[in-house]
Parts: sequence; structure tokens; C-alpha cells
Amino acid sequence: MIITPEVLNEQKNDFTIIDIRSNEERQNFPLLGLDTILSSFDQNIDVAGKKVLICQFGIVTEGMIIEKKINNAFSLLGGAQAWAEYYNENEDLSRWARQTVLPEIGIEGQKKLLNSHVSIIGMGGLGCPVAQSLVIAGIGKLKLIDNDIVSISNLHRQPLYSFEDVNKKKILAAKSKLKILNPEVIIETDDTFFDDINGEELLFKTDVIIDATDNIKSRQKIDKISKKLKIPTVYGALFRFEGQVSILNVNGSPGYSDLFPSSNTNREDSCADAGVLSMLTAIIGNIQALEAIKLIVGINNNLIGKLLMYDGMNHKTEVIEL
Amino acid sequence: MINVKVKCFSQVKYALGVDVLTFEVDENTTSIDLEKIIRERAGEKLNDVSLRIAINQKYQKEEIALQDGDEVVFIPPVQGG
Repeated sequence: MIITPEVLNEQKNDFTIIDIRSNEERQNFPLLGLDTILSSFDQNIDVAGKKVLICQFGIVTEGMIIEKKINNAFSLLGGAQAWAEYYNENEDLSRWARQTVLPEIGIEGQKKLLNSHVSIIGMGGLGCPVAQSLVIAGIGKLKLIDNDIVSISNLHRQPLYSFEDVNKKKILAAKSKLKILNPEVIIETDDTFFDDINGEELLFKTDVIIDATDNIKSRQKIDKISKKLKIPTVYGALFRFEGQVSILNVNGSPGYSDLFPSSNTNREDSCADAGVLSMLTAIIGNIQALEAIKLIVGINNNLIGKLLMYDGMNHKTEVIEL
Repeated sequence: MINVKVKCFSQVKYALGVDVLTFEVDENTTSIDLEKIIRERAGEKLNDVSLRIAINQKYQKEEIALQDGDEVVFIPPVQGG
């Protein structure tokens, strides 16, 4: 069983609190505000009554309770790391414990995500998985831009929509599903068609743009405004079993117009004409979300100045330096 | 003569029907020459498709002379989303 820092704080007098960490961890991350008894992973926990076990990140204690069949025991979600954040900042970040345990993310990275503002242009095959992944990862504010309505032919690859949403505005259907996933996320919606005239206003104060559109003209318009406003764009595009992803326009790094100075293609290359599987939209959309997260948190191993080409048929990838 | 390997993606892959092609070409062959060879082999299927080129995982803005063993990727714009 699991308990969050917030609930533990409210009910701490009802529990025996057992710290199983090493002396070094206890010294570096003291459990302020909690009366604890000390134990370790190797020792048997023979304390009667309700107890909370605390390790550094909340992972060891979860396994320990199951493995040793400890009765009436709870593991503190996010461990001492989450408790310290709650105690010092009155902010319970424990729901993201499994990603804050990553040293590349940590509590500081999670705070950056919670304070970030991402705009997604296009809530179709790519926009749905991007939005879904960003919302559950804890992005603070999301703007959804699309003027389309849900049609039956969207349902096989756009998992935020169901039959009951057919003929509804995509942005509104998406917003209601996303709010279920994370009620705390702020979601703005705009049902206008993104263009040169409204683009600047739509993207005002955005930290990252997600290009999840489905045509080259829109991609060119996004690039123009991304360059002008100096807001990075995470570009994603699909062709049958394949996709491309890049982070464009970061401090003068190449943009879409640098990558494709002339970008003619066949009309038949769109998803509607060429066909697409939902697995490909999910793969490419999630790579876009991953790159957006890396960009916001400040993880340098990313796709700035690079183009990823992925072929889902043979699983070959090519990363090209732009 | 030199050998170059072309890794095919997207419209290029569908136009040529293969993932990888190896060409034996003259020593003075350039990237633009190779694009012409590819377009000729694809027939009309790439007529309306702009292609950019990467050699050994590096994007090339200008025409460049090919070297023996080069790996070439033609990059078409793709639009689906």
C-alpha cells in the first residue's frame, strides 16, 4: 500500500514511521517534521499496528512490503525526496515519484515541467499522444489549437476521442479527457485555424510549440512564427509506417525552412491518402513529447539541430546532423 | 569507381521498393548526380517530391563529391500528422 506525503502529514500520529535508509542518506536528507524509528532493508519489521516505511525514493519500501509480507504497512510515495519537497515547499510532487527518481529529471526538473507552457498545433494523430503524455508528465499549462471536429475516421488513431465525441470540437473533447488524466493541468483551447495573422497571438508566452499539423503549408507558417518569436518547435511528421522528429529554432538552430527550403510533395502523401496506423502516430507523438520534456528540463542529449527518421516497418532509425 | 550505399526512407523507399541500394559510380560523382540516378530509377514516382540529402549522417546544403563507402540518405518532406 502507498501513502502520499500530504496524507502522511495529516495522519502522522496514527502511524509508526520507520526510516530504512542508510546513515548517509539520513544525514543528507533528514525527515524533518517526522518522529521516526530507524531500521534497514535487512531487518525484520516487528512493529505492531499501522506503519509507514520510508526509503529515499519510495521504490525499495514498496518492494520490501510485498516481499516480506509486512502487515498494515504503507510505503511513502516518492520517499524522503518527496517528503522533503512537501515539508519545505508545501508541494506534494509524489505522484511523479517514478520520474523524479530519474537523476536527469529530479524534483527541480519536475518543477520546471509544472511551470511550463506548451502549445500543440493540431489535435489529430500526433497531437493526441503528445497531449496525453505531456499532461500525465505534469506539464503545467497546455494550449490546444485546432478548428476541426471529431469524425469516425479519426477514432482508430486519435485515442482522446470516442464515438460519443463524433461531430464535437476536437479541442473540447480532448480537454475533457485530459482533465481526467490530470485535473490540475491548466488547459486553454482555441478553435481557430492557425495562420500568419493569428499565429503570434496564439503562441504568446508559450515555452515550446508542438507542430502536430498534417500539411506542409501549416508547418511553414509555424516555422516562420517560431523563428520570429524565438520559441522552439518540436516538429513531427508521418508517412505511412515512418516518421520524422526534430527540435527546431533553438537559439538560431535550423528551422523547418532550413531543413526543407523547397518542400514539394505529392498530395497523396497525407495520412488521409497514404494511410496511417495508430501505433506510428503514438510512437512519433511520444518521441515529440519526450523531446519537449528534455527541452524544458534542460537535458542536453536531444534532437536540437538533428533530424530523426524512423521506419516502423524495419525499425531502422537515422539521426542526421543538420 | 567507388561504391556508395543509399538508405531509403519514405517516398524514396516506396518509389524504389527497397530499404537499401548500393551503387557503383564514377569517382567524380556528386550528390546531385546520385539524386539524378535515383530519380531516373524511380520513374515518375518522385517527380513532384523535393529531396534533401545527408551523407554519413550529415545534412548537406550544397552539392558534394561522393567518396568510396559513403552512406547517403535522401530526405523528402513528409506531411502527415
